[in-house]
Amino acid sequence: MISYLPNCRTNMLSIFNSIPTHMDYKGQKLAEQIFQGIILVSAVIGFAYGLIIEQFGWTVYIVLAGFAVSCLLTLPPWPMYRQNPLSWQPALPETTGETQQKPQENLKKKKHK
Amino acid sequence: MNTVLSRANSLFAFSLSVMAALTFGCFITTAFKDRSVPVDIHVSRVMLKNVDDFTGPRERSDLGFITFDLSADLKPIFDWNVKQLFLYLSAEYATKSNALNQVVLWDKIVLRGESTKLNLRDMKSKYFFFDDGNGLRANKNITLTLSWNVVPNAGILPLVMGAGRMSVPFPESYETTKSY
Repeated sequence: MISYLPNCRTNMLSIFNSIPTHMDYKGQKLAEQIFQGIILVSAVIGFAYGLIIEQFGWTVYIVLAGFAVSCLLTLPPWPMYRQNPLSWQPALPETTGETQQKPQENLKKKKHK
Repeated sequence: MNTVLSRANSLFAFSLSVMAALTFGCFITTAFKDRSVPVDIHVSRVMLKNVDDFTGPRERSDLGFITFDLSADLKPIFDWNVKQLFLYLSAEYATKSNALNQVVLWDKIVLRGESTKLNLRDMKSKYFFFDDGNGLRANKNITLTLSWNVVPNAGILPLVMGAGRMSVPFPESYETTKSY
């Protein structure tokens, strides 16, 4: 789908690849624990506050505030979620050479046809 | 949890579940509450006419006019699970043809945050008090009650009858003046 714009594709990919978007496994677990904790705490606070002032609307607002805070904290892949990267096996020179050559050959053949 | 979208999805689903649990908690904390309050009804004037009811039977029907005073403090009914009250004043009586007749004479909506003190003097009924025959004349036991629907944020819609009712005897003869 992007093969007809090779220059644009490589530029955009390089820009996007420069932005780290992933979380590692421990980061994902941490993010889940953080948003669950924030929302549960805000739910308890909101329920108690709403019960005391007898306004259920405030309960909803407080939970929504907790939702917004946890969105801000856990949706973007902040660097704190990338503290434990996986240790990959180092790339072997022979296999990398073959895999890199094969797609290039395929691309060239398609262009000629 | 790997991408922004999957995190947003699980965050939203979790928040929604928590919100549903809180709403259920709001319902549970108020579900077993007694929402009846004392009501003071006083009838100052009763008038009875015999007029054509064009929506009802061919014969002339009884039409009652009641002027009433109403006072109640609705403050204890309101809590965090009440959005509004729908109050209605109904007349209950027995006739030869029906063991129980119920006619709504007047109603009022009290929104949350409005004044909860009900203190009405010389109110005329909002709706016509038509009997479907001649059951009002000389009826000695026409009972006025104030009831209300409690409209909640979540949960059931209770129908509560106010404590305090007023029994009115209706006159033996019809008024013949033309002015209503």
